[in-house]
Amino acid sequence: MSVRKSATASVRRVATLASTTARPTTERERERRRIAITCLPFFVLATVAGFVPLAMLARISLAEDTVWMTGWSLEAWRTLATTAEYRWVAWNTLWFVGLATLVSVALGVAVTHVLEKYDLPAERVVVAAVSFPIALPGIIVAYLIVVLLGRQGLVTNAVAVATGQSALDLASATAISGLLLGYVYSLLPRATMVLRGTYAEVNTQAEEAARALGASRWETFYHVTLPEIRPGIVAAAILTFRSGLAIFGTVLILQSHRVVTLQIHEETSVGSYHPDVAAAIGLVYVVFIVAFTFVGLRFVENDTVGI
Amino acid sequence: MTGPFESTTAADDSSVRSGADRTEARSDGGAVTADASAEWSRSGPALSTVLGRPILVGVVSIVVAFLTVPVVVTFVSSFAQSATGVVPRGFVTLEHWRQVLGFGDYGVRTNAMPGLAFSLAIATGGMLLNVVIGVPIAYALARYEFFARDWVNTVAILPLVPGLILGIAFVQTYPEFGRSAFGLIAGYCLLKSPYMVLTVQSSFQSMDLVRLEESARSLGASWPRTVLTIVVPHAKRGIVAGSIITWTLAAAEFNFTYMVASGSPDPFAIFLYRNISNATHLQSAAAVSVYFLIVVTAILVLQWLGSSGFTTARQR
Repeated sequence: MSVRKSATASVRRVATLASTTARPTTERERERRRIAITCLPFFVLATVAGFVPLAMLARISLAEDTVWMTGWSLEAWRTLATTAEYRWVAWNTLWFVGLATLVSVALGVAVTHVLEKYDLPAERVVVAAVSFPIALPGIIVAYLIVVLLGRQGLVTNAVAVATGQSALDLASATAISGLLLGYVYSLLPRATMVLRGTYAEVNTQAEEAARALGASRWETFYHVTLPEIRPGIVAAAILTFRSGLAIFGTVLILQSHRVVTLQIHEETSVGSYHPDVAAAIGLVYVVFIVAFTFVGLRFVENDTVGI
Repeated sequence: MTGPFESTTAADDSSVRSGADRTEARSDGGAVTADASAEWSRSGPALSTVLGRPILVGVVSIVVAFLTVPVVVTFVSSFAQSATGVVPRGFVTLEHWRQVLGFGDYGVRTNAMPGLAFSLAIATGGMLLNVVIGVPIAYALARYEFFARDWVNTVAILPLVPGLILGIAFVQTYPEFGRSAFGLIAGYCLLKSPYMVLTVQSSFQSMDLVRLEESARSLGASWPRTVLTIVVPHAKRGIVAGSIITWTLAAAEFNFTYMVASGSPDPFAIFLYRNISNATHLQSAAAVSVYFLIVVTAILVLQWLGSSGFTTARQR
């Protein structure tokens, strides 16, 4: 049989590859061994800490008895597929994170444009201020939103004094608009980070030519700059959307919108303990993020995507 | 940076216009540039040329204020005595800091010291592990072309599994070790490894690896020796920068910790969570400020090393 023959042949090829990698004789084989050696530590950790737990997640979602991991059942997946509430949560997450991404990338373009094109007095300070929040975990972002928009918040009270309304009515930290600002707070710095790399590569001569030929600033931006930074915008959107999906601390404290991460938390908390459903949601979520990233990366060159 | 086209128009303009305006001609294109286009174009300056800069600068000012004001207010109010009104009053007291750091009357139960020390130790462990796994793979990706290189690159630089999911999976997979310091170290390392790989990779890409290596090899050094004594020391800055970034991010990683940590001692992230969700406003401010100090220190060290803060985007 030819299939069998080709299968044996490929097994033999892999075996030869492995043995020459282990005991190389030519320079090419030595190079292969070096690649294997240098990539090995990462993949050992990724397997132990990443792939195996993910496989376990799949097993949990299919287990009949989630305590002892015995038996097989599709119950969790059936629940996930038939309950309308989960579809609602998924839709909630998608539009909310999408909106936060849109706002963050738009503001990110504005910030980057000003940083790159204008001579600001305190450029380094602006750069530091914009990159600082990358290091802040979600719970701290939530706290900062409360500082701004809570009942004692600065913005709340400023608006209250200006309009004469009660600060209690105006407090929006635990409203959905407050949560959106919390998301933007975390995502905007990431968008800016990617866009700055792209802006550094923009061909300024083309812009110069456009301006010299009488185009206004907006026309120059729209017809010349924007097409050049488009890959950066797509990369920033992918990155921002992906990070936005993973936000948990902010929504745990502000609790104003049911997104997937909060739902997973709910499924694993003591009152309603459904580890199999949580695992199933988690799997769908990981598969979605990976698929989204890979599809998105088709549209941009790989190396424009940072964290 | 200055857009060259703007300085060009300003320069052209100054040759025509009087010298008095020339002193006002700013290279970033201020009002003088707008006047210049009025002189040259038929229909007067476009709206965006007049309004573009003020609007954009306004937007950026609002964004920067939005990002920095709450941080500054939090830090300042952690030294205040009372916060009954909008603006905290009664400066300066270190009472909240004392409580948070465990020197107050509240005793050891509410203080951060054991948790802080534990978290810092774990973050250090994750950082060291990251050096061990991140530097070699960054080297392979920067130096060699190989089968499925793009895939390996994507897996290494994109955090594909969110911390929350990894945390749940971890606890279920390794019931005994998952909640221990080992579990936390492995998790932090995997979650933050992209930052290390990217930073070190950009450091490797900025030098001529092949030539460097070939000269060392031609002088008789073996490959391991070349890598350990020539290549890695050249990437020292990137490795240090990556270490600082991964360390700082791991110190307060919440999503993973929240799912995994067992509570003895409380990691710093859980301590922050408790303080934010049910302590007095000013004590939370002090707890959050502890982390601000860590981040600011990290950014200052990074800038001193020559990279611009928390940026792993490739510096070209």
